[in-house]
Amino acid sequence: MLRHLSLTSRLTVFFTIVAATVVLGLGYLLLLATDQHFKELDRTTLEDKQHLIDEILTKSNSLGDARSRLSEALNHHHGLHVLVKVPGGDVIFQTNGFGDLAKDFSADSIQGGHAQPTREHGEGDFHAVHSQSSPGYDQVKRLDVTVAIETAHHQKFLTELQGKLVIYAVIATLISGVLGWIAAHQGMAPLRDMKTRAAGVTGQQLERRMPVEAVPIEMADLARELNQMLGRLQEDFLRLSEFSSDLAHELRTPISNLLTQTQVTLSADRDAPTYRDVLASNAEELQRLARMVSDMLFLAKTERGVDLPNKERFSAAREVQALLEFYDAVADDKRICLSTHGDGQIYGDRLMFRRAVSNLLSNALRHTPKEGVVQIAIVASAKTTEITVENTGQDIDPLVLPRLFDRFYRADPARSHPDSDGTGLGLSITKAIVEAHGGNASARSGGGKTQFTLSFPH
Amino acid sequence: MRILIVEDEPKTGEYLRQGLREAGFVVDLAQNGTDGLHLMEHSEFDLVILDVMLPGLNGWQVLHAMRERGLQMPVMFLTARDQVEDRVKGLELGAEDYLVKPFSFAELLARVRIILRRGRSGNEPTRLKVADLDLDLLRRRVSRAGKRIDLTAKEFGLLELLMRRQGEVLPRSLIASQVWDMNFDSDTNVIEVAMRRLRVKIDEGHDTKLIQTVRGMGYVLEAPEDQ
Repeated sequence: MLRHLSLTSRLTVFFTIVAATVVLGLGYLLLLATDQHFKELDRTTLEDKQHLIDEILTKSNSLGDARSRLSEALNHHHGLHVLVKVPGGDVIFQTNGFGDLAKDFSADSIQGGHAQPTREHGEGDFHAVHSQSSPGYDQVKRLDVTVAIETAHHQKFLTELQGKLVIYAVIATLISGVLGWIAAHQGMAPLRDMKTRAAGVTGQQLERRMPVEAVPIEMADLARELNQMLGRLQEDFLRLSEFSSDLAHELRTPISNLLTQTQVTLSADRDAPTYRDVLASNAEELQRLARMVSDMLFLAKTERGVDLPNKERFSAAREVQALLEFYDAVADDKRICLSTHGDGQIYGDRLMFRRAVSNLLSNALRHTPKEGVVQIAIVASAKTTEITVENTGQDIDPLVLPRLFDRFYRADPARSHPDSDGTGLGLSITKAIVEAHGGNASARSGGGKTQFTLSFPH
Repeated sequence: MRILIVEDEPKTGEYLRQGLREAGFVVDLAQNGTDGLHLMEHSEFDLVILDVMLPGLNGWQVLHAMRERGLQMPVMFLTARDQVEDRVKGLELGAEDYLVKPFSFAELLARVRIILRRGRSGNEPTRLKVADLDLDLLRRRVSRAGKRIDLTAKEFGLLELLMRRQGEVLPRSLIASQVWDMNFDSDTNVIEVAMRRLRVKIDEGHDTKLIQTVRGMGYVLEAPEDQ
């Protein structure tokens, strides 16, 4: 049931329960202490009177003397009742209104002068003690002495106190509930603020962030995490929208070429070879487009994080060797020296691995000048197998290096439509494949050598 | 050879029909799965080309219904969706091949021929001959007009593919896959370079050029008189 309550309500309920417990506990303790205190007071009074009676009896020289002295000392004490009598016999002295008390506090209940528990009698409660003492006029005789004190006014006080305490407890509990609600509501303010801000985050306003400094420490962590999440989302979103516009741009040029060329051809009568030529050129352009679309789909799929279903363990050197055979003719054509050394195990998708390295090789061969060198080094360490493709040639601007893996990025903007019919997605695909394997791709350049390294975890 | 195309997109269907017809096949076209199944039950086909996304019965269901009715002809799927699961599903259901749109027509044709050839098991030739070009598979030797030509292993494999499939236009992707086992599209000019080098060795110094480039399609090896 608690789960459905708002945090504020929960805190309010807890506050109220705690306050009620504390107030009630205190009230109970107070009542107990007061009660104890009254009993103590009564006992002292009774003992005093007991001593007084004892003294009067001891000092009295006759029965009449004792009676008159007792009457003088005790009769005007309100709420105090005294009974002095011969055990099982005549009453020697009795205060007014003692009446039936005599029965209740009869001699058989005397227990060596100890105070008896409070007894109820008639309209009020009494607290009584019994003792025995010998009168001065007759040292042999022992008299029963009963002293009782009315406790009704104490009880009344206690009852009134109890009532007041209950009222106070109820009010205090209610007030602390209200205060608790205010505190909880105030405490939740940063959370509501975050909610408002989160509601304001849309595709167009991804730069909004949670206030980390303005919120309490407990929430700062949450705010920070949320900010980081927003940061990642913003980055991805930006990349995605850039990508869409890049894609549109990349597609627009070839489509516009195709359209123009086709319409120009259609605008007049041509001979068969011309038509064939145009169609062939269109086919080439369309093939490039088709490949771009497949590459895009492949990239989208790989970046989305595929679970490689055909994972196996294989030797990197063997796959690289197969690729070298594939690229052999191209390298030979440019008299580029193409070689590989080292070996390592890869746990992954063989076809994807080939594709990743193939893109690097094709890229390296394209940018290596004639009679250059392309080397593939495979280094296995404890945790990774690294494939490094190094080629000789012009250095790449360090500022450009990290962008090389971006989609459609071409180091030379003038060659936006290169004669080599690349789609500009090769290195992005390579990166996506390596990352899908849990590895990473990096590039270095300097001293006339450019290196691309793929690091695959075992 | 009779082929049935089940394709709801009229333009695609029409072009496929025209292309395959011109390649020498007898072609029927159905616009949906139900019509396709009806045609299959009443005529013999050597191959069914099935679009996966069809209105009503989809490609998978058509194949399922075919197998239920005991129609055992080979099936090639065409699809715009390239999901590994789809590919696996298609092959599990017993499809022979799976082609993702957009595909090049040369690729489709080459694959169709591979499937149709599978059915015919003949004696593997040990010698291939086109005009005066001679390829000896056992001794791995090539000669033209009686003159020995030295080829690298991959060049030999490339020539063997072209000669086995003489007269067929082979797209680059198919060549890369069959000769180098590179089963993905790459944006390199490897095939062009390899073909150019092979052509130099085979055709240079001869009046009749056997290896032809078909622009926008691929490569073909054929004796000129066959044209």
